[in-house]
Amino acid sequence: MISDLTQRISHLKYLKFYLISTLFGLLALLPLLIRGPFYSHILVMIFLHAAAAASWNLIGGYAGQLSLGHAAFYGIGAYTSTLLFVQWGISPWLGMLAGGGVAALVAGLVSFPCFKLRGPFFTLATIAFGEVVRILAIYFRELTRGAIGITIPFRPGIENLMFHGKMAYCYFALVTMMTVFFVSFLIERSRFGYYLVALRGDEDAAQALGVNTTMCKLMAMMLSAFFTAICGTFAAQYVLFIEPISEFSIDRSILFALISIIGGIGTAAGPIIGSFILTPLQEFLRAWLGGQYQGLHIFIYGCILIAVVMLLPEGVIIWMRAIGRRIVPPIRSRG
Amino acid sequence: MVDLMTIGQIALNGLLLGGIYALISIGLTIIFGVIRVINFAHGEFLMLSMYASFWLFQILGIDPYLSILIIIPIFFIAGWLTQRAFIQPILKGPALMQIFITVGISLAMMNGALFLWKADYRSVTPSYAAITFKMGNFLIGLPRLVAFLSSIVIVLILYLFLKKTHLGRAIRAVAQDREAALLMGINMRRIYLIAFGIGTACVGVAGPLLLPIYPVFPTVGTYFVLIAFVVVVLGGMGNMTGAFIGGLIIGLIEAFSGFFITPQLQSLVYFVIFILLLLLKPSGLMGVVGAEEIGMK
Repeated sequence: MISDLTQRISHLKYLKFYLISTLFGLLALLPLLIRGPFYSHILVMIFLHAAAAASWNLIGGYAGQLSLGHAAFYGIGAYTSTLLFVQWGISPWLGMLAGGGVAALVAGLVSFPCFKLRGPFFTLATIAFGEVVRILAIYFRELTRGAIGITIPFRPGIENLMFHGKMAYCYFALVTMMTVFFVSFLIERSRFGYYLVALRGDEDAAQALGVNTTMCKLMAMMLSAFFTAICGTFAAQYVLFIEPISEFSIDRSILFALISIIGGIGTAAGPIIGSFILTPLQEFLRAWLGGQYQGLHIFIYGCILIAVVMLLPEGVIIWMRAIGRRIVPPIRSRG
Repeated sequence: MVDLMTIGQIALNGLLLGGIYALISIGLTIIFGVIRVINFAHGEFLMLSMYASFWLFQILGIDPYLSILIIIPIFFIAGWLTQRAFIQPILKGPALMQIFITVGISLAMMNGALFLWKADYRSVTPSYAAITFKMGNFLIGLPRLVAFLSSIVIVLILYLFLKKTHLGRAIRAVAQDREAALLMGINMRRIYLIAFGIGTACVGVAGPLLLPIYPVFPTVGTYFVLIAFVVVVLGGMGNMTGAFIGGLIIGLIEAFSGFFITPQLQSLVYFVIFILLLLLKPSGLMGVVGAEEIGMK
């Protein structure tokens, strides 16, 4: 009886693994199937936003520390690699790692003292942090060229992480997204992941049980900042132009959080699902409404956010799970 | 060389502006103190009240100061409805969702305004907007003085209301100890609705008072709400007196930092103060110890 049960469990475990692999295999086919630069662009943005939202999810979702300052890390990633490339010709591949490192370091230094703040106070501190970075980026003109921004010269080649067409960008974004997904997936099943979920539920109780909550939050934050910065570098290489006001804007921080929430906060697949819903919506609305109805697409975001929080706080993923349960019925405990 | 006169003039300007900050912040701090929700949409309510006053002036020719009388009841009801429709249903949910609901409301309101009225800066110039008069050696703009004095009057009225009336006592009781208040037979839901209404009505007053001084545009609320957050943390979350004094202090800091430091870095000063305060004394100058942890539960 028991061996039968364990067999079924391990069978299910592999089933999930096969399922995920198949889904990613299908995603990898998508760039080949899609025609036209507009749709390819949307796909790049879906993968990129999913990767950034999944990075945010490490601290905001699993650990429940609602940061609204993540645009700072995104911007740090974009600026570090771009400045290294434009000033000294250092490859964006190295710049990407450097940007991730700088972002993780800044995240560690800034958030360590902030972690004694809880709930909304932590959020307020992250907003203030994001604003400080934005103001400094505009102010230090000699380094960042201020509000004018920096145009990255287009020198296509794998060593410069620049390509003709959008196909290569699609795959690069997909790989980034998959990397963050698997990191989340592994964390979710690790002791560290359980610590994070425990401290999200009740930090005092987790602490009383011997979890070093500050250390856990710190590690989650640094990992999160590292991957967010990588997304920033990639976006800079894709758009080939950066300027502080949009790179560091709080709207961007909200977007990452919003995508996670719509998909399912604190789950590995949630940000990907959320991005597949929200990013095409954003791009279509932007293309259709464009400049003539300024603000309308963010107005729609706001309404979606309100509706999701009120009606579906666990995200769309609970629908997916319900469908999954139909296909593979859960094991009922007998006896 | 900066002489004493200039310093005095700067301090005076700062204090006058601080009065308005105090009024905006008191609305925020009442909502936080009673409902324990940080209202990220507070600044957007201010923006809407400025627009309301602007259009009343533009279309019906109603003076901004007079429009306050129309705007107060509308904003009280708007706050009541916001609490009823959006906040109340998720009060028992996780704190994360309470933050997001007000962020969502803020986004929708700000961009709704951008959609309807475009990003243009709009201002009204009633005949008295440019009047300045001399007090001793100092120059005072009439709109700033009116804004300051009105803010003080409103704060005093609110203070008396909370201290002397039965309803005011009930509101304070909920802010101090929810369980005990519930045991005393206070209808919490009703108190929440009233508190959100009052908090919103505060910016309903502040908007028209600001209009002759400051132009209105869709993102104007963000600027003021960030200041209000600093003020509220400075004074201690939920502390009215603290918010009042905090407003004046931030007004002074703004005036002096605008004079001595480059204007581009002016807002940096608040944020640095804000972060330092959160880290060193999150309960604020006059707040209750441990208030920074209450938001979580």
